[in-house]
Amino acid sequence: MLSRTAENLYWLARYVERAEYLARTIEATQRVTALPNTYIGKTNEWDSALLTAGVSASFYELYEDADERNVVDYLSFSPANPSSIRNCIENARLNSRSVRTALTSEMWDTINGAWIDLQEVWGKGAKTREELAKFLRFVQETSLRFDGSAYRTMLRNDAYWFSRLGLHLERADNTARILDVKYHVLLPEEEHVGGPLDYYQWTSILRSVSALTAYHWVYRETLKPWLIADLLILNDSLPRSLASCYGNLVRNLDQIGVAYGRQGAAQRHARGVRNRLEHSHMDDIFQHGVHEFIQEFIADNGRLGEIITKQYLI
Amino acid sequence: MRLRIAHSTSYRYEPPASGVIQILRMTPGSHDGQYVAEWQIDVSTDSRLDTHQDAFGNITHVLTYGPIAELTITVEGMIETHDTGGVLRGTDERFPPSLFLRSTPLTGVNPAMAAFARELRSESEDDVLGFLHGLMMQINEHMTFDEDPTNSGTSAVEAFGLKRGVCQDYAHIFIACARSAGVPARFVAGHFLRSDGMVNQQAGHAWAEAFVPDLGWVGFDPANAICTTDAHARVAIGLDYLGAAPVRGTRYGGGMETLTVAVKVDQAGGRQGQSQSQS
Repeated sequence: MLSRTAENLYWLARYVERAEYLARTIEATQRVTALPNTYIGKTNEWDSALLTAGVSASFYELYEDADERNVVDYLSFSPANPSSIRNCIENARLNSRSVRTALTSEMWDTINGAWIDLQEVWGKGAKTREELAKFLRFVQETSLRFDGSAYRTMLRNDAYWFSRLGLHLERADNTARILDVKYHVLLPEEEHVGGPLDYYQWTSILRSVSALTAYHWVYRETLKPWLIADLLILNDSLPRSLASCYGNLVRNLDQIGVAYGRQGAAQRHARGVRNRLEHSHMDDIFQHGVHEFIQEFIADNGRLGEIITKQYLI
Repeated sequence: MRLRIAHSTSYRYEPPASGVIQILRMTPGSHDGQYVAEWQIDVSTDSRLDTHQDAFGNITHVLTYGPIAELTITVEGMIETHDTGGVLRGTDERFPPSLFLRSTPLTGVNPAMAAFARELRSESEDDVLGFLHGLMMQINEHMTFDEDPTNSGTSAVEAFGLKRGVCQDYAHIFIACARSAGVPARFVAGHFLRSDGMVNQQAGHAWAEAFVPDLGWVGFDPANAICTTDAHARVAIGLDYLGAAPVRGTRYGGGMETLTVAVKVDQAGGRQGQSQSQS
């Protein structure tokens, strides 16, 4: 396969995953901010939404206040934000078009359809909260359809594996970012642990990775910060956990390695990160600092992206 | 290197045993120099096979079944290994290294061995790594590889006296001497791709790991007089053979028990690549 094709497939999946993640973040933030201030404290939730999306700096170049209207606009529709949902879908479609023959018609239809809707239905953005809710649902459904079509219709060859790499790398990055921005509410030594503030914050973290129900299945207890961290970092069976993402990255990289008859730095690096996750225990992570652990992970994950690019995509 | 490993263990009980319980330590874990791409255990009966981890982090399966006349356990898998110069990284270390100074009946020393270890230790002064390399070479020279005189219950002291033994005895002697010189050491059960091209082997391989300050655990294979390479696939660790053995168990009733083991370690042929790159 041409490395250019691999690159398009990889970024296509990344953009779709990113769009879905942004939609979830906006939804979860709206939910938290709908509560009275006494419940959620004085932190500006919209500001931390910008931080988890990694676009805080560029936002403040254009806007002064991080209020609901500005942030929602910037994250969803702004053409000025390179990773707004609109731009994600446009980029996804651009990438799909150049590898049209490597995609199945179901995948193409999903992306192309979403792109057309984006122009025709959402060309002027969302005016009301109700409209926005519809828009966010539309984005999430696009991602679900795309992911489902890939899973159900693609040949299991390098095209599929490269698209999975993009998806899981992006997903790991997103989960890690949420943890990074929110780690301060997960710290056990926080004074008001168990207060309503924490409860709503924790719920919102879990919602943003659609893991609230999963949490109760796994732990069968009230929300506890170290268990939330355990679920999102180490639990192999949660699809958005760091461990699960790396399990998938390692498997897909291995399949690429076997098919091409060559292993390289990407395989070694991904396995290294996976091993650390597999052999980590939550107690140790808390002892050495969740923040440091997550920072290191984000750096490692970024490095894997660079290595994959160098090894396969250019 | 991609190693394809197949390992089958058959038991025949005559007359049939009324029940067996076995703990299988046959499933390798991953670390920085080793990635388990595929692995499966097959048992010839419809018995329960419960997965656990033991205290050292070895993956174990517990098998219970009976009455039974024949039992075959087959494991097959594919492991991708890298040469890390014997240095182990990314393992699940659950205990401080000093735990592995603990002596066991199979890894005790007699005065001759203690003196042998002490002499080597004082020669190498502060250089723990140098001591371990010296120890490995000395044991390899002292011993002659011979399958006949020893069995799975032979202790380090006995094998050292006989000057004969198999890889397991070499490892036990290495561990016993290292511990008596104050260096933590442990037993490793695994598989080895032989450089002479012999694919079929009669048993798995065994070697030792010793803890070097500032470096961590390092694998030493005294039977081959080398540090572990990408030809070694690490399956289980323990204080001695009994803690890392592939199968340990007990049976109720029955009489004669016959055991056959076959191991196959081969390099998986990489398929021809079809990659193109644009540069």
